[in-house]
Amino acid sequence: MDEEEYERMIQRCLRCSICKWVPQIQVKSQKYATICPAMDEYNFHTYSGGGKIILALSYHLGRIGPSDELRDIVYKCTECGGCAVSCKFLNTLEPLEIMCEFRERLVKDGCGPMPAQQKYIEAVKKVNNPYNEPHESRKEWLPKDIQTDPNSKVLFYVGCTASYRRKEMAIATARILNAAGIKFRLLEDETCCGSPILRTGVKDAFLESMNKNLDAIEALDVDTVVFTCAGCYDTFKVDYPLHRKYNFEVKHTVELFDELIQDGKLKLTTEVPLTVTYHDPCHLGRNAERYEEWDGDVVELMPLVNINIPKKPKRCGAEGVYDPPRNILKSISGLKLNEMERIMEYSYCCGAGAGVKSAFPEFALKTAQIRLDEAEDTGAEILVSACPFCSTNLQDAIKEKGSKLQFYDINELILMALGMDIKKVKEKAAEVA
Amino acid sequence: MVLEEDTFKEFEKAVGVGNVNDGEVITDAYAYNWCMEMFNYMDGKEPLPYSSRPKAVILPSSTEEVQKVVKLCNKYGIQVKAQSTGLGPWNCVSSNNSIVVDLRRMNKIVKIDEKNLYCVVEPYVSGAQLQAEIMKYGLNCHMPGAGPQVSPLASATSMNGPGFTSPSTGHSSRNVLGVEWVLPDGEIMRLGSWGMKNNPDWFNGDGPGPSLRGIMRGWAGAKSGLGIFTRVAVKLFPYPCSTDFELSGHSPNYDFKIPDFMRLYVMDCKNFKRLDEIIIQVEKEEISFMCSYLSGLAVMAIFANSFEQMMELMAVGGMKAPLVVIIAARTKREFEYKQKVMDYILEKNKLANIIGKQYTPYPVFYAEALRSNLGLHGFIATGGFQSTLGQCDTAKMCLNSATLNVPAKQLFIKKGAVANDFGEGVWMTSYESGHYFHAESPTMFDQTNKHSVKGTAQYFERSNEIGLVKHLGAPFFVEGDRWHDMFGPHMHNYHLWLRKIKEAFDPNNIADGGFYITPGKDKKGALKK
Ligand SMILES: Cc1cc2nc3c(=O)[nH]c(=O)nc-3n(C[C@H](O)[C@H](O)[C@H](O)COP(=O)(O)OP(=O)(O)OC[C@H]3O[C@@H](n4cnc5c(N)ncnc54)[C@H](O)[C@@H]3O)c2cc1C
Ligand code: SF4
Ligand code: SF4
Repeated sequence: MDEEEYERMIQRCLRCSICKWVPQIQVKSQKYATICPAMDEYNFHTYSGGGKIILALSYHLGRIGPSDELRDIVYKCTECGGCAVSCKFLNTLEPLEIMCEFRERLVKDGCGPMPAQQKYIEAVKKVNNPYNEPHESRKEWLPKDIQTDPNSKVLFYVGCTASYRRKEMAIATARILNAAGIKFRLLEDETCCGSPILRTGVKDAFLESMNKNLDAIEALDVDTVVFTCAGCYDTFKVDYPLHRKYNFEVKHTVELFDELIQDGKLKLTTEVPLTVTYHDPCHLGRNAERYEEWDGDVVELMPLVNINIPKKPKRCGAEGVYDPPRNILKSISGLKLNEMERIMEYSYCCGAGAGVKSAFPEFALKTAQIRLDEAEDTGAEILVSACPFCSTNLQDAIKEKGSKLQFYDINELILMALGMDIKKVKEKAAEVA
Repeated sequence: MVLEEDTFKEFEKAVGVGNVNDGEVITDAYAYNWCMEMFNYMDGKEPLPYSSRPKAVILPSSTEEVQKVVKLCNKYGIQVKAQSTGLGPWNCVSSNNSIVVDLRRMNKIVKIDEKNLYCVVEPYVSGAQLQAEIMKYGLNCHMPGAGPQVSPLASATSMNGPGFTSPSTGHSSRNVLGVEWVLPDGEIMRLGSWGMKNNPDWFNGDGPGPSLRGIMRGWAGAKSGLGIFTRVAVKLFPYPCSTDFELSGHSPNYDFKIPDFMRLYVMDCKNFKRLDEIIIQVEKEEISFMCSYLSGLAVMAIFANSFEQMMELMAVGGMKAPLVVIIAARTKREFEYKQKVMDYILEKNKLANIIGKQYTPYPVFYAEALRSNLGLHGFIATGGFQSTLGQCDTAKMCLNSATLNVPAKQLFIKKGAVANDFGEGVWMTSYESGHYFHAESPTMFDQTNKHSVKGTAQYFERSNEIGLVKHLGAPFFVEGDRWHDMFGPHMHNYHLWLRKIKEAFDPNNIADGGFYITPGKDKKGALKK
């Protein structure tokens, strides 16, 4: 978003509040009508997508200055993008992009990011991961019996969270790739994708991470990069090309495994008699839609009325990855999928994103608990998703709430359907940890 | 900190920690609202979209907490402005001695009485939420044209009330039953059968004793100038067709399974004389779910979800006097009957329905019509939109006011201040099967362009003056001292009575009357304190 567009857009919020709700015609109940975790927790209009646009305008006009109060409000937002989907049902505003740009401006003015976020950004700069874990131990998740092939054209980009915190996801992915006979390699020197940095508005550090990764990958003869982390996937797929083009394909494991199942290369033969519900990660769903290039003109049709020629594509989340995970779940025999009310492009966020989990852990947990309520109401016994970050936060909330739900990553369910003992994978993860 | 520390603490004690904020960041966001720039300009101020900054924003969670807040305001001489979902300048304070009471935490559906066709809601239940819950009983509710995201309570108690489904779901002012109301002095008033000493219940808006509905909201609503409403009962209606609501695909291009017994008619009546006759014929039969006259451009807008898509509908936009009717039914027999009636009216008037022949809307149109989402399409051309006129009268009178308004609008189109709709942009709907009609003139402008804002404000004033000079009645945005004092003398001096009501109910002038009326003037003409 350039300067001119930013200035134009921050003057155009209608204060209609549509960004607080799922798209109006998708409201199915009173209980699950809302979309904005920040509003649900903090209540003042200021916290909504529209509220933050007003703040961007107030700041731009000098009505308010940089302050801790302003910083807290702007950063108490998971950048889940739910507001943007609802707003853009009819409007042409870009609430999420405005908020990202506003954060960048605050950072430039010394009013961001939050101290806890600054800490993990420093860690990325130092040891290439936000958890401040030794870089050397990044591959310790890898069990000895997994086969990798240093000459493969497929690269499995593991990401920091699956490498250090959700090892079972990395292990499950590697085992499924082995089971399907897909040769893959790992990066020798994997670096944080930069997503947690980018979302806080610290652009230069993000660009550094991006360049390190792209330099490393492009030095290899790789045509596909596979991700099990929705955050890394979204960052590579949507954000990197805005700054630097690359010439390999990116796939989330749900896309790859769905293809392999359809092609009969992955045979899910074991019955998994579970009732599950699926949580769409924001980074795999609505935010994983690429920006379509548009090189048209804004033409004044008549005074005050402009038209884009050709029509400007609207990024509303329709191109998110919604069918592949559902196809996978539907192809597991004995498994029943009960959908929640808020799904796909109007899914409710898990609460962890954009630095919220580190800066405002209670807010992150409360949001996840709202999502758990919705999952429980489906009658499912298992909550399943496809993102290590959602996984961590939802599992923390399950513990905190004492919920009967169990959480599984979708790859773990595939392993079960492949007849592998999932407990062993989990134990193995603990062992390698 | 804007409030004195002790005052802040008292408010905090009333509503709980974290629910009072007087910091500049929170309060500045509450100073902003849609169209505020235009109202500022009309008040001789800089056309910025901000009002005065409220002293604080407070979030009560119950009637008792609202009462405590109002009593504290009386104690400290601070004015109070209530908002439910908060869309529009009417939610903004009129001075920096006002606090905003944001009723967001009062969000319960208290009761659904499906047998007696009413429900009781708190301020922050949105129309879409209420509708989703009552659809489970096969019922529907009325929503103003502002859309399903706004508050049925706010519309019922405090502001206007026509909507696209008005032919079958009425007008907010006529749908309100029992009310719970925190008066400006902090006393709680219960209206209608909810005020009965024995067995209070919500089913009736009038009595025991004299009805106060007229005083409570009259026609246009007091817009928070007479205290705060905390719960209200509103009428419910049968949902017009099957409640299976099957959407698929993704936003914004959802696909929708059009219910079996639902049909849209768009017919060009060619001129207002015929339109007047035909709309009354349709409404007399009590068959329509929706029945609106929309100018050609407005018809294009309701069928499109972007301006580019709207431009593809030029063929529809050429109609001179389009009448848009939706009929819906729950049984085949009922549907056949309604279609037969429509066929008869079409034949009798030599009309053709263009739907299915010249034009077939995307199915999502029907979903939006059922969920009252069409009003928001008014924004898709320029992003800025506001309405003038708004009379509540006969169809003839409404169409007359629309006609008389055209030259005024054309003048400002020529000046490049408002977007060109040939001066004809109008939406007219019937209420309650033609019992009344409402017509307004939606006007598209650019809120980021000062010339446009100023010109639209001037056009607004001109349009109101035409209403006065041509005896068309008060516009629905008649609000604030200036406009009441202008229209009142020509309308039985109602403004004097309005002031008397304000004074009697609000002796300390605590309810912010910026968009209602302020207490009477003394003999020298100065406003009383
Ligand atoms: C596109 C568009 C179309 C529109 N079409 C219509 C239309 O067809 N019909 C129509 O009537 N209006 C229409 N409007 C105006 C609209 O009615 C109001 O903007 C809307 O009703 C506001 O509803 P709300 O729930 O946000 O109420 P609020 O904005 O919260 O409140 C409206 C007014 O009531 C006061 N108020 C709110 N709650 C309380 C309370 N609990 N106690 C006391 N006072 C209170 C507020 O101070 C404010 O003055 C339209 C607006 C737009 C943007
Ligand atoms: S951001 Fe969009 S949806 Fe939210 S208030 Fe502004 S215009 Fe409305
Ligand atoms: S991005 Fe998500 S949390 Fe942030 S304002 Fe939008 S809906 Fe709320």
